[in-house]
Amino acid sequence: MGPTAENHNPHQHRSKTPLVIVFVFLALVPVSRSQQATPAANPQDTTEQQEDSRATSTRQFLGLGRLPDARLAAEGGKIFAPTCGFCHGADARGASGPDLLRSPVVLDDDQGELIGPTVHDGRPGKGMPAFPSFTSEQLREIAEYLHLQVELAANRGTYKALNVVTGDAKAGEAYFNGTGKCNTCHSVTGDLAHLGAKMSPSDLQQTFLYPAPRHPSPPKVTVTVEDGKTMSGTLKHLDDFYVAFYDADGAYHSITLKKGIEVQVEDKLVFHRQMLDKYTNQQMHDLTAYLVTLK
Amino acid sequence: MKFAGLLLSFSCLLGGLPSVSAAQALDPQKLVQPEPTDTWPTYNGDYSGRRFSPLKQIHASNVHELSLAWTYRVAVGGGAMRGVGEPDIKSTPLMVNGILYFTIPDHVFAVDARTGLALWHYDWVDKGGHLIGNRGVGMYGEWLYFLAPDGWFISLEAKTGKERWRKKVADEKMQYFTTGAPMVVGNHVIVGVGGDAIDVPGYLEARDPQTGELQWRWDSEPKKGEPGSETWPNEYAMAHGGGMTWLPGTYDKDLNLLYWGTGNANPVMAGQGRKGADLYTCSIVAINADTGKLVWYFQGSPHDTHDWDNTETPVLFDAEVDGKPRKLLAQAARNGYFFVLDRTNGKNILSKPFVDLNWSKGIDAKGQPIPDPGREPTVDGNLLTINGGGGTNWIPPSYSPQTGLFYVNAVRGYSVTYLTDTSEHPEGYGGSNRDLWSQHVLEALDHKTGEVRWSHAYLTVDGLGGGLGGPGILTTAGDLLFSGDFNGNLIAFNATKGDILWHFPMLHSLSNGPETYLLDGRQYLIAGGGDTLYAFILN
Repeated sequence: MGPTAENHNPHQHRSKTPLVIVFVFLALVPVSRSQQATPAANPQDTTEQQEDSRATSTRQFLGLGRLPDARLAAEGGKIFAPTCGFCHGADARGASGPDLLRSPVVLDDDQGELIGPTVHDGRPGKGMPAFPSFTSEQLREIAEYLHLQVELAANRGTYKALNVVTGDAKAGEAYFNGTGKCNTCHSVTGDLAHLGAKMSPSDLQQTFLYPAPRHPSPPKVTVTVEDGKTMSGTLKHLDDFYVAFYDADGAYHSITLKKGIEVQVEDKLVFHRQMLDKYTNQQMHDLTAYLVTLK
Repeated sequence: MKFAGLLLSFSCLLGGLPSVSAAQALDPQKLVQPEPTDTWPTYNGDYSGRRFSPLKQIHASNVHELSLAWTYRVAVGGGAMRGVGEPDIKSTPLMVNGILYFTIPDHVFAVDARTGLALWHYDWVDKGGHLIGNRGVGMYGEWLYFLAPDGWFISLEAKTGKERWRKKVADEKMQYFTTGAPMVVGNHVIVGVGGDAIDVPGYLEARDPQTGELQWRWDSEPKKGEPGSETWPNEYAMAHGGGMTWLPGTYDKDLNLLYWGTGNANPVMAGQGRKGADLYTCSIVAINADTGKLVWYFQGSPHDTHDWDNTETPVLFDAEVDGKPRKLLAQAARNGYFFVLDRTNGKNILSKPFVDLNWSKGIDAKGQPIPDPGREPTVDGNLLTINGGGGTNWIPPSYSPQTGLFYVNAVRGYSVTYLTDTSEHPEGYGGSNRDLWSQHVLEALDHKTGEVRWSHAYLTVDGLGGGLGGPGILTTAGDLLFSGDFNGNLIAFNATKGDILWHFPMLHSLSNGPETYLLDGRQYLIAGGGDTLYAFILN
């Protein structure tokens, strides 16, 4: 999996002397057009803001329409569960009656204009009784409850991690200081102090697995040019054709890659990447359970 | 009456084509040409899906002289599109009689292939559907076919861009969306669908090129009691099981078989309500082009729980296997496996991972991967040694008969996958995955062994997520491979060895499959990068 092994020399056709690119460090930040087209949240946002922004952008992407009104939906839920839940299930996902999350009456409805009359008049031909006593406000609330159930299933931007803390914290501590050798670089009273208070357990889990996507830090680069002279700085850009960086004085440099130029990128995360091939799920869960205790 | 009857049968003999002498009409013979030269008449250039051009005016020794001829930027007013940001050209333009026809979601463009001059622009106002991409148009005579994101199948006059008719083929309120390039085969227009936010069944339709009326429909799931129904726990799960058909397939004229990849099962990641293999999701299916009947299937991801659609292009070529000439089909699947099948009967010849993966316990007697139940998404997270988006995606691969190599832009990586809906009847995705480390690599695979003959890990600072967008591949008889990195570079590689021979920094990264054609005796290279189409020639 090492990135160096298969990097073909992009300029081999021009020279017998291969360009050398040595990776000592490879920092990775998430691509802006994230997979599943669920836009990435700004890492500076709080977790709650991130969830809201993910939910909003995913709703827009899916074309799900407006955000259901949580207050009306909550009221609707109080009516729905005891009245409709027996046939349709309390979560409206169907029981003896149909699953309403896939019902065209629900999906084509906007603010109760289709759901309201259906509940009020029933569907005598299909065995659904009428509920003539509901007020128009109550019908609207029931409609909103159903729209919220659709939102919670269809809008994957609303999904929340459930309990990821299933491991054994003691075993995690032993792994941290033993087999995992985490304590070689990290200290629970130093750089990792209060880690469990800083982020949610699922964020913490993903962060210790591979920190770069969540906590990007600009990598250091050293470039050796043809005469043996070296220059170093903070990497700005690297592709198969040029390297760009800022030196210690903040001055910008770009160098076209060609024969005889060696690029060394510091790799602080090499051990994190190697560990991804080694962790068992149990070790990952134990380590999560331990690190969340670092309040 | 007699006279009218005669006329009618005459027009039927011609398949109802408008006069092919019309300057802008597509000669139907171009659709069955073995390899594209002066015309690019269908999404993949020809029915094989190889994206190999016999042109060699541009070759390994002169490609460094390739220079920009023109650019065309899609200006669709306002820039950002709903839910996806700036438009990406993911379509492969058709090039017919000197005119390029291409799309982004909601829009079709006709542009002069010599100069980039805009001829017309068709603008659709959607009422929903996903704007994640559009793969392009299909063409029959003087007519074009386009899928709007909200399930509308639309025919346009190629000369003017004027709408002929529209037919509803999918319900966007049920979260279907339509992104495919309609594929013209004989007197059929083949139309596929996408959708997975709500649990709905997949299907593939053939429509009449003249009227848009339904000719046949193949459902991705069997009905109760039919073969394949035993791979579902109940009728309820089977009726909502997914298996979308959103990417254009390929076609063998001699066998009259369409080859189509089907998408993931629904619910996407929460598989507890659909125990079993879930046929015909995540499969390659061979379908009779005239009847819509299933002839054979091969399931790339039995009981998928990772959102790894098996829709990647089934590429068709003939080659010797153990000294005997065979009709083959090869696919680099999103689940990380490279499959080679006998396309006459679907029998497996080779199944081998092209990236590291730990979700599978190996392959079964039929050559199908065996999913490891211990690697399904879990509430507390399951660590995978493959990128969350899979080993590749829809981005066009290529096969060069000259090198015998199958080329794919692959992703190596790690991810952690979560179950977020533990109910007995989950709906939607019911889970999520998060990418950890990942890396984009161009791989050249030996179709006989599945070995990586050469590879190129694109240099970059960024960690690049799996991504649904990204660079496609074109190979040519000039021993060239055109593709791109995620830093905006359009790159020409030596197809045999993998050396980089030329590059051009575009404003955005390559977002479609590059194509090439001969016009006025000159070979053009066309590439889409974000919102701009770039044309190159030798100067």
